[in-house]
Amino acid sequence: MSAAVDGELTLNEQEGFEKHIMKCPTCFSEFKEAQKTKSIIKEKITRFKAPQSLVNSILKLTETPL
Amino acid sequence: MNIYRIKNMSSSPHKKNAPAQKNILSEKEKIKQQEFQEEAVGHINALYNYALHLTMNPDDAHDLVQETYLKAYKFFDSFEKGTNCKAWLFKILKNNYINKFRKNAREPGKVDYDLIKDFYHSIKDTQSDSEDLNAGYFRSLMHDEVYQALNSLPEEFKEVIQLCDIEGFTYEEIANMVESPIGTVRSRLYRGRKLLRSKLNEFAKKHGYNTDNEETP
Ligand SMILES: [Zn+2]
Repeated sequence: MSAAVDGELTLNEQEGFEKHIMKCPTCFSEFKEAQKTKSIIKEKITRFKAPQSLVNSILKLTETPL
Repeated sequence: MNIYRIKNMSSSPHKKNAPAQKNILSEKEKIKQQEFQEEAVGHINALYNYALHLTMNPDDAHDLVQETYLKAYKFFDSFEKGTNCKAWLFKILKNNYINKFRKNAREPGKVDYDLIKDFYHSIKDTQSDSEDLNAGYFRSLMHDEVYQALNSLPEEFKEVIQLCDIEGFTYEEIANMVESPIGTVRSRLYRGRKLLRSKLNEFAKKHGYNTDNEETP
């Protein structure tokens, strides 16, 4: 199920999975729910920007011979 | 990794070098610098967020990312071109984290809710780059609720969900980072998402949404 949501199935597996969920309402709704959860996390998670001081120190690092 | 040396580097990076040669790089170093900046530096926000999730502390996250880049720059020659640089950096960061914090850190699977709350409010004002795209159930969930829901999961679930859904790594890359078989990654994702869904549904119900009938947006 997770593999289907994440596009990690082989072509054959994908075909079999699609055929199955067309006739199995339980798996179909399970699949939809898992998809929804994934997209909520993806779109809604709070992301923080790295502080400018950190970015600067990394850039400085690459200007310094080791 | 010697952390004192890194601290010194950030406060006075050129202490050891004579001022005259501080910015002089050889041709080879210039190429390396350019490649490193193109390949690696662009992943800094992703690494910082990963470090925040692991450490729950902005200062520790800052140090962890800095050490990761120092190590990555030093060993950039060993990075296989054409492979996923982001995955390579994440793996370095994870290893660093384990060496540095794991011994005296929280036990895996144990989450301190107060710590999360404090942490969240301490950096809440930092700019966030995610966007509201949808209405209804989806919209009703606040950013901090999604954040809390994810952070309330046991670490083993939280981590794979983050690596997969937020950072977009493949199962193979994740398996390598968490040092577990792909089958384990798959089942953790499955169980983690189920847990997460029930947490999110609790929030959505609080906002008056009947989550049982909602279609995927
Ligand atoms: Zn079924």
